[in-house]
Amino acid sequence: MKLLWLVLALMVAPMSDCAWAQFKGEIVGSGGQKFPIAVSPLRNTGNATADAARFSTGIADSIVHDLELSGWFRVIDRLSYIESPQKSGITLGTFDLKDWSTLGAEGLVKGGFSVQGDEIVVELRLFDVFQGKERIAKRYTGGVGQFRRIAHKFVDEIINQFTGIPGVFNTQIAYVSNSGGRFKEIYLSHLDGSEKVQVTDNRTINLSPSWDAGGKTILYSSFKDRSQTLYLRDLGTGREVRFNPPGGGRYLGGKLSPDGQLVVATYELAGNSNLYLLDRNGAVIKRLTSDPGIEVSPAWSPDGKQIVFVSDRSGAPQVFVLDLQSGKSRRVTYSGSYNTSPEWSPKGDRIVYTGRIGSKFAIFTIAAEGGEPRKLTAEASDSEDPTWSPDGRFIAFSSNRAGRYHLYVMQASGENQRRLTGSGGDDTKPSWSLRLVD
Amino acid sequence: MKSGRSISHWRCLLIAALAFSCTPNASTKPDPAATGTGAASAKTSSTGGAGDGQRAGTKETDAMPSSLKALQEGKLPITPASSPLKDAFFDFDRYDLSAEARGVLRGNADWLKNNPAVRVDIEGHCDERGTNDYNLALGAKRAAAAREYLTSLGIAADRMSTTSYGEEIPVCQERGESCWRQNRRARFVIVERRATS
Repeated sequence: MKLLWLVLALMVAPMSDCAWAQFKGEIVGSGGQKFPIAVSPLRNTGNATADAARFSTGIADSIVHDLELSGWFRVIDRLSYIESPQKSGITLGTFDLKDWSTLGAEGLVKGGFSVQGDEIVVELRLFDVFQGKERIAKRYTGGVGQFRRIAHKFVDEIINQFTGIPGVFNTQIAYVSNSGGRFKEIYLSHLDGSEKVQVTDNRTINLSPSWDAGGKTILYSSFKDRSQTLYLRDLGTGREVRFNPPGGGRYLGGKLSPDGQLVVATYELAGNSNLYLLDRNGAVIKRLTSDPGIEVSPAWSPDGKQIVFVSDRSGAPQVFVLDLQSGKSRRVTYSGSYNTSPEWSPKGDRIVYTGRIGSKFAIFTIAAEGGEPRKLTAEASDSEDPTWSPDGRFIAFSSNRAGRYHLYVMQASGENQRRLTGSGGDDTKPSWSLRLVD
Repeated sequence: MKSGRSISHWRCLLIAALAFSCTPNASTKPDPAATGTGAASAKTSSTGGAGDGQRAGTKETDAMPSSLKALQEGKLPITPASSPLKDAFFDFDRYDLSAEARGVLRGNADWLKNNPAVRVDIEGHCDERGTNDYNLALGAKRAAAAREYLTSLGIAADRMSTTSYGEEIPVCQERGESCWRQNRRARFVIVERRATS
């Protein structure tokens, strides 16, 4: 998808503006205040089309969805908007800012679109209502079927404007669902559930999808052919590489390294599971652990130099870190008797994992060097399988708090927990992609 | 234009919120309450009955499909009461064999001794609690523990393969210990019944 810069009007406040004194006392409790923003339905600037309402409100709806999911914005209810979106302008001076300031909006998103055949051109702007300034202006061109993706990209820009780091809404989640019946298949979708794609359809058990850095390939495990092993699948062509485990063993799961050149996998033989380093074709480079117990659920540190994993060498599953250079490992979690499925934050500072508390499972984070864990989800229900957003500011996970397992997302602090999926089955094992290139 | 709180000001607030927000409740109580209450009753009577010289799938006792096959056929992976090879059960997050499980496995060993042409796949299963990856490894441990015990009782290791299905193919699909205990098992599936030469 092509992206044309119309105007580059980024007003990035230097960090020195953010002196402690400026906001001390204004952040009450955790989470801080939410920024009040209005998102106007888009104006049809092209020819009349039967789908106009779908694009006009659909793009606005997706922007609202993402802004609310971030937890940083309070979107002002559309029903209270004063001006008519199809009559007022979308550039400064062609609409009345007072129509928005009286609603309490401090930020305003306006835009227009035109449809030509299968293509949609969307122009989106962010205004600072109090200062009367335009902060972002962008034009996007794409297929009409992908109009929601344009909304996600623009929200990523808005979040960049506010936080200095782009948002993570133009991303995908890979996950496992049995929504098609009793089998477990791999699916992909955007965070809002749009552009949902069923990746596998082999009527067996498919598990543990994880992404390649480029976002074009996933690694997953499957029982579809003889015994369980890993498959590296090109999402564009559907071509797969089957990892053939040596010596009659099995690969129970694995993850691609941050640079995509290596795979760390769990290899099981005669009940013993150990970690192995493989290349992208599944050839063994070296064995990483030699423990008679369970070694499972490996994941990479963001610099690719360490592996976080689960071992029961202390008598119960706990989170450990292995240094690839020295071959030495250290235990990270000490509280609780069942800590599994760790994933290392892309920022490198924390590790998220699933821990058992009483008879329930909850999501925790802990400093990568160890320390006191932080519990992020309530133990009234089970929450499992955490995965970091590519910026490390959010965590997606699965939970049965609404009956069956669905996917949820929350801030890395545990705040603003919101449900993402609602299929009729169980949605589990989410894996969050890096930001999509287009 | 009136000057209010500008976007750059809000940017500062958001950065502050990101940097300093955290949930204060970091309590983690270790829970020693391993819930296992022993295995479900399983009789150890080894009903012979199945003769030699049959190809797989030709006798009634051969009809028990693997759990994956059962799933594909829309059936639960139930071990029928008539099966000469019984399930051995485990406690939560355990793969050591209880006295009861050993009793079941001795019965299975006796039957396998009397039916030397039979090869089995020992499936390791877990209840739904905990994470899928760990349960795959745990199921592999359970299957291997059963296989090792049978080997110690004189059954040739090459007559027994193992497969872990982790928590993926439960025989009982309700929540609660009475159901979970049925899923924490080593299950024996007859995969081959060679003609004895």
